[in-house]
Amino acid sequence: MELFDPLVIMLIIAGLYMAWNIGANDLANAMGTSVGSGALSIKQVIIVAAVFEFAGAVFFGKRVTSTIAKGIVPIDSIAMTDTHLVAIGMLAAILAAGFWITLATFYNLPVSTTHSIVGAVLGFGLIAAYNGIIGFNEINWPVLFKIVASWLISPVLGALLAYIIFSLIRYFILQKSDDPYRIENKFVFLQVATACFIAFAHGSNDVANAVGPLYAALHALDMAGVTVPLWVMIMGGLGMVFGLATWGYRVIETIGTKITELTPTRGFSAEFATATVVVMHSYIALPISTTHTLVGSVIGVGLAGGLAAVDLSVIGKIFLSWIITVPVAALTSALIFVGLLGIGI
Amino acid sequence: MKKEYIRSVLNIFASSPFKPLCIHANKGGDCVRKLSESVYAFCEGDMETVERLNHEIDDIEHEADVIKQTIRGELSSSIMLPVHATDLLNFLKPQDSISDEAQEVSYWLTLRRFEAPPEISTGFLELMDKTLATVEQYEKLVDTLSELLESSFSKRDVDDTLSLVVEVEEMEHQVDVIEKDMVRKIFRNEDVLGGVGVFHLTRLVMGIGKIADNAEHAADRLRTMVLRR
Repeated sequence: MELFDPLVIMLIIAGLYMAWNIGANDLANAMGTSVGSGALSIKQVIIVAAVFEFAGAVFFGKRVTSTIAKGIVPIDSIAMTDTHLVAIGMLAAILAAGFWITLATFYNLPVSTTHSIVGAVLGFGLIAAYNGIIGFNEINWPVLFKIVASWLISPVLGALLAYIIFSLIRYFILQKSDDPYRIENKFVFLQVATACFIAFAHGSNDVANAVGPLYAALHALDMAGVTVPLWVMIMGGLGMVFGLATWGYRVIETIGTKITELTPTRGFSAEFATATVVVMHSYIALPISTTHTLVGSVIGVGLAGGLAAVDLSVIGKIFLSWIITVPVAALTSALIFVGLLGIGI
Repeated sequence: MKKEYIRSVLNIFASSPFKPLCIHANKGGDCVRKLSESVYAFCEGDMETVERLNHEIDDIEHEADVIKQTIRGELSSSIMLPVHATDLLNFLKPQDSISDEAQEVSYWLTLRRFEAPPEISTGFLELMDKTLATVEQYEKLVDTLSELLESSFSKRDVDDTLSLVVEVEEMEHQVDVIEKDMVRKIFRNEDVLGGVGVFHLTRLVMGIGKIADNAEHAADRLRTMVLRR
């Protein structure tokens, strides 16, 4: 199979589109908090984000990528029947996720790319099982259960960690000082470090959403081995950085000008908690939503009395997006898969 | 608003009611400052200025009302604050009464010319000065809220705020003393002032006293808000 196979090229383009979207929105969200607190200028944020997002994706993104590619649906078993099916299925999955994300972004809904891609890959697995290519029990349900559980756990963990971090800062630093404003200035530097950390964390977890299906297809087509090829990770990293540079800066600007409440101590607490939780999940190879974890962390800072006003109605919206995203992405993916087979690709 | 191609965490950040609260307190202060000017003009018989200031106070009071409505409108049940929302609304109410009462007194000033012995006008100006001082101290108190939020209610800042509450209460007490004394003086001069004069001046004195009352009441509620967190 050639690299210039039209199917592979389509997968690469679809993967790049996902990467662009992730960079333009999710990465921008993670970075926007640093601009809001005035720690970095927009230009600086983009440079920092580009470097560390890329590093996170290339050097620490393989575990989650493997989970998306091979952890949920047994692509090796499907490839034994027909290698082509995997490539088409993965193309269907990434198209479905990309479509859902585009729609959600257009309507400003807090939908996660992670949830979309997991749902879409599952949809392909289910239709493969429905057609008798694999058994329903061959879908890795325990892993899927662990992934879904981590979606619930990660924002709670973010909230808990942010609560603890801010409470410590509050007790040991803010309340001991005569001039809380001076403390904020000292935290500006720390927040620059955290901005790097969160970009790295984001890259390590979210690159999988763009390149996971591509790797699965390459693996099935015998163009990639047991580990993810470096060029795939680099492509994912570049795609996300490109998204940030071409659209993400606008998102950062929008967020930065509106989040003035998040002073350096608060921003540091929320970002450090988020980045820690995300990197932890990248290590144990579980794909989670950075944005949702960040929302959890912000609530944690709010619970610790650090924010003037937090709107908890977002929790309901996020919860709804969880419930809707997986079935919608799965169904769309299955339909696209059947459609692609139907027109004889 | 223009729709952006964005999925964001923005919605989690609600707009803070504390900055508008401070602005609202300052609107009350502005009303009382204008009222003080008006009382001086009134004692000098400059009814033109009294009329002009009455219109200006009307406008400021209206601005304060709009801010109050915005604060109330944005505090839906899903908003999490570092203090109880009910306590915040309970303190906003008497704070809003400061400008309401200033407007009321300003209107009563326009109704009738001042003709009274110097003893009355001196006491009248003293009452106004002390009331203005009380309200300005109250503004200082509300201003400390931003510091409280910044240090996330450190014990030291809470103590600073509470000591200002006590000062406002102390000043309001002094206003009370002057007010009672003034009412007595007015009735003592009922022969000079006439029935309508006594009624008019008593109404004014009690109105000004009520402004300080409201500041004290709001300060008290603010203490509850800070302590019951």
